[in-house]
Amino acid sequence: MASQRYENLYAKIETALREKPKRTQLYNAVKRARDSRRAAIDILPQGEAFRKEVREIKVRCTAKLDDLVDQFAERVEARGARVFLAEDGAAAIGYILKLAAEKNAKTVAKSKSLTSEEIEVNHPIEEAGLEVIETDLGELIIQKVHEKPFHLVFPAVHKTAVEVAEIFEKETGEGVPHDVDAIMKVVRQYLRPIFLNADIGMTGANVGVAESGAILIETNEGNARLVSSIPDVHICIMGREKVVETTGDAIMMMLAHPVSAVGQHTTTYVTWMGGRSPLGADGKTPRESHIIILDNGRSAMKEDPLFSDALNCIRCGACMNICPTYGVVGGHAFGHIYPGPIGIPWTSEVHGLDKAGDFAPLCISCGLCKEICPAEIDIPMMIAGVKDRDSEVNPHPRVNKMLMAAERAAKMGSLTAPLSNWLMDNAWVRWAMEKAMGIDRRRQLPKFSRKTLVKRFAKRGPLPVSNPVRKVAFFMDLFANYNDPDLGMAAIECLEARGCEVVIPPQKGCGYPYIGYGDLKKARKVARENVDFLAPYVNRGYEVVATEPTATYCLKISYPKLLDKSEDAVAIADHTFEFFEFLSLLKGDVAVGERNALSGRKFGFHIPCHQRPLGAGEHAMAFLHARGAEVALIETGTCCGMAGTFGLKAGPLGYELSQAVGEPLFEGFRDADVEAIVTESSVCALHLSEGTGHAVWHPLNLLRFLK
Amino acid sequence: MRAALIDVFVKKYASLSGIAHVVNGADAVAPIVVQVLGDVDCKRVALAELPDGLADAIQSACVDAGFEVLTPPFDNRALPHAIDAADVGVSWAAFAVAESGSLVEFALDDAVRLVSTLPRVHIGIFQASALLANLTDAAEPLRQFFEDHPHNATATFISGPSRTADIEMRLTLGVHGPEVAHAIVIA
Ligand code: SF4
Ligand code: SF4
Repeated sequence: MASQRYENLYAKIETALREKPKRTQLYNAVKRARDSRRAAIDILPQGEAFRKEVREIKVRCTAKLDDLVDQFAERVEARGARVFLAEDGAAAIGYILKLAAEKNAKTVAKSKSLTSEEIEVNHPIEEAGLEVIETDLGELIIQKVHEKPFHLVFPAVHKTAVEVAEIFEKETGEGVPHDVDAIMKVVRQYLRPIFLNADIGMTGANVGVAESGAILIETNEGNARLVSSIPDVHICIMGREKVVETTGDAIMMMLAHPVSAVGQHTTTYVTWMGGRSPLGADGKTPRESHIIILDNGRSAMKEDPLFSDALNCIRCGACMNICPTYGVVGGHAFGHIYPGPIGIPWTSEVHGLDKAGDFAPLCISCGLCKEICPAEIDIPMMIAGVKDRDSEVNPHPRVNKMLMAAERAAKMGSLTAPLSNWLMDNAWVRWAMEKAMGIDRRRQLPKFSRKTLVKRFAKRGPLPVSNPVRKVAFFMDLFANYNDPDLGMAAIECLEARGCEVVIPPQKGCGYPYIGYGDLKKARKVARENVDFLAPYVNRGYEVVATEPTATYCLKISYPKLLDKSEDAVAIADHTFEFFEFLSLLKGDVAVGERNALSGRKFGFHIPCHQRPLGAGEHAMAFLHARGAEVALIETGTCCGMAGTFGLKAGPLGYELSQAVGEPLFEGFRDADVEAIVTESSVCALHLSEGTGHAVWHPLNLLRFLK
Repeated sequence: MRAALIDVFVKKYASLSGIAHVVNGADAVAPIVVQVLGDVDCKRVALAELPDGLADAIQSACVDAGFEVLTPPFDNRALPHAIDAADVGVSWAAFAVAESGSLVEFALDDAVRLVSTLPRVHIGIFQASALLANLTDAAEPLRQFFEDHPHNATATFISGPSRTADIEMRLTLGVHGPEVAHAIVIA
């Protein structure tokens, strides 16, 4: 029986899955943002490397944040504005209410501020009898219908023009035409008197500059300009992590936000506000600006080795635009107040672990958010940490526990093959497996091989190579060992044929599921074991080669992180290669007989998520090209939905969500004129073949079977 | 060199739905302003602080053409409504950035910010010699501006008209700020 938490989550996912038009809107929005981002980065002078610059700035500033906040506060005050350091939301709200009472204020016009939402500032202000009006159009729309933002940058992306027109019809009591331009005119008229007459203008700040004491407020609509210039009282609520050191740092942030969020070079209006200026001549009323610098858990966060990286977040929302599951369910399911990938660690730190644990299972650990983040934050590892800590109170569901221990099951399956394979083909058995273990019965599971790769290789024995060109320690992972030893042997023979000496060192499966489902203790244990197994080889000049992208990802990226960059882990990472990358480095890469083996054939190529930071399949594609094949890279820019073993699970948080994520990609492959799909991931292969009806091959198998 | 940079600006600005005019010398500015006012069916225009000479030229050209002209100093008691009642706002940009199509406005009085935000049309004017190539080049003049003004000071990057895509991701202009933005580059 699923717990209440999972019941709630399932219900939210099911609702999202049912609402196809809303899903399509969201899908198009995030896809467009992603594509525009790509295009904008391509024309930046520094290209992708701008992420390195952003990270350098944030890491430097976070390291001395306490000093910078002090300096910033001092400069702000020197400019005549007031600073209030708020320990938490209650303190900030108390300050605002007191100020509002002193000023006898009636209305607050707000421009968008996530930090004000973090402490849910509107409610207490309204309780005190004031009216609070959101002036960002998207925020205004959802305020009127009492919803939470669906997306960080596009809060009302799930509402159609008709729905919005109806909202303003109700608000104004007048007919509103159902087209966007007409609605916009109504909104302009509706908000103008609010801007002109508000007693308090409230904004956030995207950046604070320690050097000058200026705050930066970015809006495309210009609403922040009005609320920060017209009312005599201005209040800004900003998180303390927004403070950077220099004007140059701030410029970089000002560029990084819109480029990452929507592919714009700059937000239409960026206000750098230093102190409070008068309005016109002979002003009688004093003009004030109050900068509330919020802590609310941030200082504690900085001291937590697992979560301090989250402070480097610049709130661009790019991680939301690439997250496969967020892109289907949206912020109402995937978020508390802070939505999306980074919303998980942030929620955990400012709103509580339990709240974060409510939606953390939506993360399928594809790793893509880490690859798009302008601050290069390792979000997936933090999410694993949230799941891990949460599991102490709310134990992992049974199916997750079983999938984390996949190695045991694979061993069993292999030992008992072919009986195990026969059983898994049996509808009754599959029904029982679904009921008892939560493995969806519709999934085709890979067959087990009784003769594992280890056994076959041991029987054949290593091929003695005199003067080997390279010495290879082959890392096979579970699939090549227990399910497709032929593939493993083909890879080994391919290396041997090019003069390599190959051994299979003792090893465990890569253990990525422990990260994905969040058991960091076990993840570390496996990492340490594999590092201990492999280190002696690497020290003797062996290079580690793996055929499974996730295994390579573990060796190169996850293990060093899990093991605090231990010397051995780093050495192994430096000497680990993807199979085709390694092959490309060898002489005689293309065997003579193979030159035209694939000519005249056209394949669709799929990049598994974990392969993206490893070169995004370029070497495998080059391998196919070199053998005469035409290769079409088919991608949506996000995950296929399988995410390792996630898609094997029965129910909304598994099979069904994985199908919904996969749909657009399946369509891409179905529409492409290709005879089959090629990918190196064994699990993506299962998903793609079911979803598209195409045959799916590992490049090496393709060569073997087409011969 | 300069001409190429101006070209980058003009193209970028157009891609942001702005309209750029490159004119030869300060004398050519006022006629363009008058022409724009005519095109947008303007009755009243608000001018922010402009460099000496230019302010007078624009003001008299506008008056001659029959427009009602609001000029600084603006009386605090009449704000923000007086500027809100203008159809067009004309203001000066201290510098501009070609890469991003941005005009950068320096203001020590928030009335300047209102001139470039409240009316439905904004005309921003800057010297071509103050056109920078990249956003990162803006760091130094900004730092200097805040150093020169240790008390209140506001700088604003303005890159085209006010825009939103909050409804169905469809780009719409002028939701709060100007829906039409002109930039006049004095070459
Ligand atoms: S790792 Fe993938 S699934 Fe998890 S939050 Fe990041 S993008 Fe989403
Ligand atoms: S975590 Fe990275 S990608 Fe996500 S909002 Fe923050 S800075 Fe942007």
